[in-house]
Amino acid sequence: MPIFGRPDATIGPIILHALTFANLYKYLLKYKLVPPYNKVSKKKAHSQVFDDVGAGQKLKQLYHFNQHKTMINNHNSVRWRRIFGCNLLFLMFTLSLTAQDILVTGKVTDGNLPISGANVLIKNTNSGVVTDFDGRYSITAKATDTLQISYLGYTTVTIPIQSRPTINITLQEDATALGEVQINAGYYTTTDREKTGSIARITAKEIEKQPVSNPLAAMQGRMAGVDIVETSGVPGSGFEVKIRGQNSIMAGNEPLYVLDGVPYDAQSLGSRNSSGLIIPGGNISPLNAINPSTIESIEVLKDADATAIYGSRGANGVVLITTKRGKKGKTSLNISSSTGIANITKKRDLLNSKQYIALRQEAFAAEGITNYPANAYDINGTWNQNHYTDWQKVLIGGTAKTRQVKASVSGGTESTQFLLSGMFQNETTVFPGDFNYDRITVNSNINHSSNDKRFQVALSTGYTIENNLLPGTDLTSNAYKLAPNAPDLYDDEGNLNWENSTWTNPLAELEGKYTNITNTLMANSVLNYKAFKNFEIKLNMGYNNAILEDNRKIPHTIYNPAVGLNSSVSRSYNHSGKRKSWILEPQLHWTRKSENHTWTLLFGTTFQSQKSEAFAIQGTGFANNKFIENLSAASTLRILNENNQEYNYQSVFARVNYHFKSKLFLNATGRRDGSSRFSSSNRYGNFGALGTAYIFSEDLNLSWLSIGKLRTSYGITGNDQIGDYQYLQTYSISDFPYDGNIGLQPTRLFNPHYKWEENIKKEIAIELGLFNQRISLSATYYNNRSSNQLLNYALPGTSGFTSIQANLDALVENSGWELELDGSIVSIPNFTWNTAFNLSLSKNTLLEFPGLEESSYANRFVIGKPLSIMKLYNLKGVNIETGLFEFTDYNGDGLITVAEDRQYLADLTPQVFGGISNSLHYKNWTLDVFFQFVKKQGINEFFGTSATGTMSNQPISVANHWQQSGDQSTRQQLTTGANPTALLAYSQFTLSNGIISDASFIRLKSLAISYTLPFSNHTRSSCRLSIQGQNLLTFTSFKGGDPEQGIGFLPPLRRITLGAQINL
Amino acid sequence: MKTTIITNVFQMIKQTLGLMGCIILLTGCHDFLEVDDPSGQISHETVFEDHITATAATTTMYAKLRDEVLITGNFSGLGAQMGLYSDELDYYGAPGQPIATFYNHQILASNVLVLRTWNSAYNLVYMANTNIEGLEASQALSQDLKNQLLGEALFIRALTHFYLVNLYGEIPYIKTTDYDKNRLVSKVPEHLVYEYIIADLLEAKNRIGENYMSSERIRANKYVVSALLARVYVYTSQWENAENESSSLINNTSLYNLEIDLENVFLKTSPAAILQLKTKVTNQSTTEANSFVFTSGPPPSVALNPNYVNSMEANDLRRLHWVGKVTNNSNTWYFSNKYRQGTNLQYSTIFRLAEQYLIRAEARTRLNDISGAQNDINSIRQRAGLSQTEAHTRDELLQAILKERQSELFAEHGHRWFDIRRFGMANDILTPIKTSWQTTDIFLPIPETELLMNSNLNPQNPGY
Repeated sequence: MPIFGRPDATIGPIILHALTFANLYKYLLKYKLVPPYNKVSKKKAHSQVFDDVGAGQKLKQLYHFNQHKTMINNHNSVRWRRIFGCNLLFLMFTLSLTAQDILVTGKVTDGNLPISGANVLIKNTNSGVVTDFDGRYSITAKATDTLQISYLGYTTVTIPIQSRPTINITLQEDATALGEVQINAGYYTTTDREKTGSIARITAKEIEKQPVSNPLAAMQGRMAGVDIVETSGVPGSGFEVKIRGQNSIMAGNEPLYVLDGVPYDAQSLGSRNSSGLIIPGGNISPLNAINPSTIESIEVLKDADATAIYGSRGANGVVLITTKRGKKGKTSLNISSSTGIANITKKRDLLNSKQYIALRQEAFAAEGITNYPANAYDINGTWNQNHYTDWQKVLIGGTAKTRQVKASVSGGTESTQFLLSGMFQNETTVFPGDFNYDRITVNSNINHSSNDKRFQVALSTGYTIENNLLPGTDLTSNAYKLAPNAPDLYDDEGNLNWENSTWTNPLAELEGKYTNITNTLMANSVLNYKAFKNFEIKLNMGYNNAILEDNRKIPHTIYNPAVGLNSSVSRSYNHSGKRKSWILEPQLHWTRKSENHTWTLLFGTTFQSQKSEAFAIQGTGFANNKFIENLSAASTLRILNENNQEYNYQSVFARVNYHFKSKLFLNATGRRDGSSRFSSSNRYGNFGALGTAYIFSEDLNLSWLSIGKLRTSYGITGNDQIGDYQYLQTYSISDFPYDGNIGLQPTRLFNPHYKWEENIKKEIAIELGLFNQRISLSATYYNNRSSNQLLNYALPGTSGFTSIQANLDALVENSGWELELDGSIVSIPNFTWNTAFNLSLSKNTLLEFPGLEESSYANRFVIGKPLSIMKLYNLKGVNIETGLFEFTDYNGDGLITVAEDRQYLADLTPQVFGGISNSLHYKNWTLDVFFQFVKKQGINEFFGTSATGTMSNQPISVANHWQQSGDQSTRQQLTTGANPTALLAYSQFTLSNGIISDASFIRLKSLAISYTLPFSNHTRSSCRLSIQGQNLLTFTSFKGGDPEQGIGFLPPLRRITLGAQINL
Repeated sequence: MKTTIITNVFQMIKQTLGLMGCIILLTGCHDFLEVDDPSGQISHETVFEDHITATAATTTMYAKLRDEVLITGNFSGLGAQMGLYSDELDYYGAPGQPIATFYNHQILASNVLVLRTWNSAYNLVYMANTNIEGLEASQALSQDLKNQLLGEALFIRALTHFYLVNLYGEIPYIKTTDYDKNRLVSKVPEHLVYEYIIADLLEAKNRIGENYMSSERIRANKYVVSALLARVYVYTSQWENAENESSSLINNTSLYNLEIDLENVFLKTSPAAILQLKTKVTNQSTTEANSFVFTSGPPPSVALNPNYVNSMEANDLRRLHWVGKVTNNSNTWYFSNKYRQGTNLQYSTIFRLAEQYLIRAEARTRLNDISGAQNDINSIRQRAGLSQTEAHTRDELLQAILKERQSELFAEHGHRWFDIRRFGMANDILTPIKTSWQTTDIFLPIPETELLMNSNLNPQNPGY
């Protein structure tokens, strides 16, 4: 009956029947774990099996294998454990018959269900037994002995026997069970109980339920204080990440990413010139190279206590990504495959042809124009007015297809474990035409430890190839603006239709293709040597190498053939970005434990070096477009950019951690950083933090309060994201050749004094675990202030340059609350329901900015307001008499002027955001539902629109426009462009708060249902089927499309995938 | 118990710190943080350790003058802007452009071209200063080369300030790269600016060589410095000095001659050339040719004012050779034809001998050397096919000199504007033809943002 039959699959049924020693022996014999029966006496066999080291290890392996399988097939493994426990019990029993003591029996339960495999020990001795599959035990002991009963995840119970022959024991789930989970804090690990800092975490469990290809996408909405926005739905594009708000005015606000202990530069290697029209800002996220399915956990370090050990790079938070490791046990193979579809989440409601034509006719009539102009093709009869195309459907409404195949092999022995995994992914786009993104990733890791466990080595490597073919330009803007009665895309012969040069065919853009090929190598290795008791020497080494090559082709065929251009104007833009970095981090770890005091010391040093290169070249003019791939065929070549940079970084860091009685925790961390980004006089900086935690529940002893913890932290971190070499007084090669000499001019006004921004973080938090940890709750308040802001400080021209990179005493504050709530709502046999909720409230304020009014930032920032404000005209409405938009004249001069009347401040940063997830398991079914919610304002559908009545499609809300004196309306009078005052008022409208709308939303971010095929209980193989969705439903009042959509770019996509996973 | 633990811990910390200290010392942490220069950038010291890069840093200043600063031949230059500002040029470009306000005399302190002129000029001054600092600190360059390059940097610094003081009046004279000083710098009176200019030029003259650096006259030598000195002296009424400096050029007939054939005056081989700017790309015509010459009417941007052209004597050969004409139906437009499109034989000429003759004529007039002045004027007139001057008195001679400068130096880097301002004629000449002309227009405004950022530059020039 096993579907995935193979020899090993028969082990299950055999063991099921191995209820007696004889059967076990037979099994061991069959697999040559013991010598054949005829070579040993029957009597001796007992002890031989038990004593035989080899067999013992195999048994252990079997046992561990069982443990490992628990996750995969709970049902099977319980049975396994029971079987094993039974056999052990049998052995114990037979071995202890000689003692002249009383026999104690009983049952261990969790109050409801029996616990099999629990340890029952006689305290202060080495003798003990394990409960059977019914939770029963029997043990021979002295009447005065004390029993100690323990089981993983439950509180250990000690009970004096007091001559009782029967003792039934109920174990309580350990309130501090979470304390067992190790949390990665970068240079060290901690636990939920012991941590003094703020660390958010998601694990493979959450990641694997989302059909996403970038790790950042998997984090969206799931972590308090972490705001992540996808910049475009185009495959391979990037994300904007802000951890606890925007700290820096001009320098980078990206967190530091660390992949398996190696800093991972998340700066795009792309170039705005080649990819800026299809990928917002040319920002191609290097994190796309990390396959989410290889990730074991992602930890986000947020407060001073957690980030200060990263010193000058910790100000914007730290994202630690840890990949999966091999686990000891039987070699297992895991293959999964999924296929899916993706579409844009939301369309805009735009006019159809009938409504549009009526609007245009009315606009002309209102302006008294009866002879339609020759170029008003939409209405003067040139184009068919009954023709209707939903351009959103045609240009961006396609269905992208996604495919993914993954395989991994893992396993190992006690001393060596390995994991090998690979993935192939393919995704097409929602644009018309053949475009696709391919990704291949290969990951491997191997861990080894010496027999005495004193020496350990771990090696991980990952290699990713990405191949992205996209249109040169995003068609989204076109889809919103094209007249709905614009002509067909293709003529009868299937060629692009230019309709006698009356329009620019949007598909012509597709002739210009954009490609990028990225190769990323990630490797790291950790050596660990336990030199003395409690003293370890560790060496962390890493190497990353990323190469991005991209190309944008602009053949002459993207232009109307009537213009008569030929391939002599065809262009090809080639760019390459390369980055290599290595890191070396020797460390010393020392711990000392006594009854009440635990000391942990860490001391380390970092050497890091990064070299990056960029090169861009443009070829123009080809004899034929067929040669456009070949730069040597271009008639002119121009090097647009050639730049090599080096960044070296060195520091020492330390941590001192002290626990008192497991209830008081002190954690001091510090780092002294040296960075080549600063001049020799400012090269070094000191950073540090102190975190404390007090578990007050230890002193309260309240039955309902399993854990109550108060923690605080304070410290200083830095931000060095200012680019390389800014302090150097250099001359640059420039485009000023003279008499055969190259042009060589001063690069900038150099400032040898500038240094990193400083960020002081303060935090206080309370963490509670209630009712046996059924509910856990945490509330955090933080306040971060960034000073010493690095700005392009404006200078008078007499200085030689009009700005200089300098530190200014501007102060930016981010403060807020973070709430997290986890609950186990139902936990009964066959059914569990867990829920998790997070909520972030944040506020960003520019507290100080000396000389703001005179600076070049005067029109962008206001003291006391967030950095993300937009200064806009305040729309008062439509004047009933004139029918024009009216704005507040702030300075009362009777004119609406750019400099003085844009005083309305709109803030686009989300004020409240969070998520709620529910995870339900019923027998073989699991259901995961995750909702994300954000309260914010956004730029609506009127941004960048042409005046209503001109030849451009409009949102349907323009129906309510002013027509005659006395009309109350939301939209001003129509104009075909002939009325300059109406045009001016409209252009002011597009710079007013009329383009700002509430863009709050609640989104069904992910939904996953999976079913594990109920194979025979005897097989270890399983198959899981799942259906997963991302961005499935969005509830919002926002009319401008998707509330997270970037201007002019594709909104995020709704994805649905079907998958199957086979474990062998 | 607790104290022993703490003692232990401190010992441990000490030991580990010691160990780490050793590791760091061994690896030499300071060296580790030293990075190579980025490609495409060279550190300031390195530039002046090598004669090729030091020379490139120097020639780039000429390239900047050619392409974007003050005397560039394109529309960012004074030739176009101040030509429109005076009576030389008429504006035909799109209305409302910043350059149109030069023609209309409606320049505001916020005008972007005024700001660009100011910023690019001080950027060039910065470059001269950083070159001077680098050259003075250089150990590797030969003393001769250092002197030559220092002389050129001083010359450029003086030249730039010369134009600035004539455009804006009181200005700061910048001699350092220290932005902490330069951002708060104060204006100095015009006479002091000229003192600094002269001091720089005399220093340059001491250092710079007599010979051009190549067969072409595209970088400053001692005579180029003298040519500017002569001009500065005549602008500051130091007549004897002006006569001496111009004579040093005019008398050096082995190097300089008035080119008799007017077609050849602006050629790169012209013996009348004192300083020319070499074109960016060989085989390219000059930026002046691209800006001023047009082939069909109406003109795309600017044209010579017809009255200006008609003020030239009818048989003046310069009118024949240097003024182009386009006729369309009944309309005729003129353009400066000194520079020709489609030729690779010309360079933009900054200083030429004819000006030195006119400088000396002016100086001699002021020194009452009437016949000497007449001779100089006649040298110019004779070449233009004109009869000897009839001016005899001092005033007549001065008028004749202004007239001769008008006919000789039109469309060349704002000569006309600076002359009518210097002669006190701007008001008389422009009031009838420019409706918005105000007497305060003799200076441009100091850029508005400049005053906002550095209040030491107050007050603004009158009228703005």
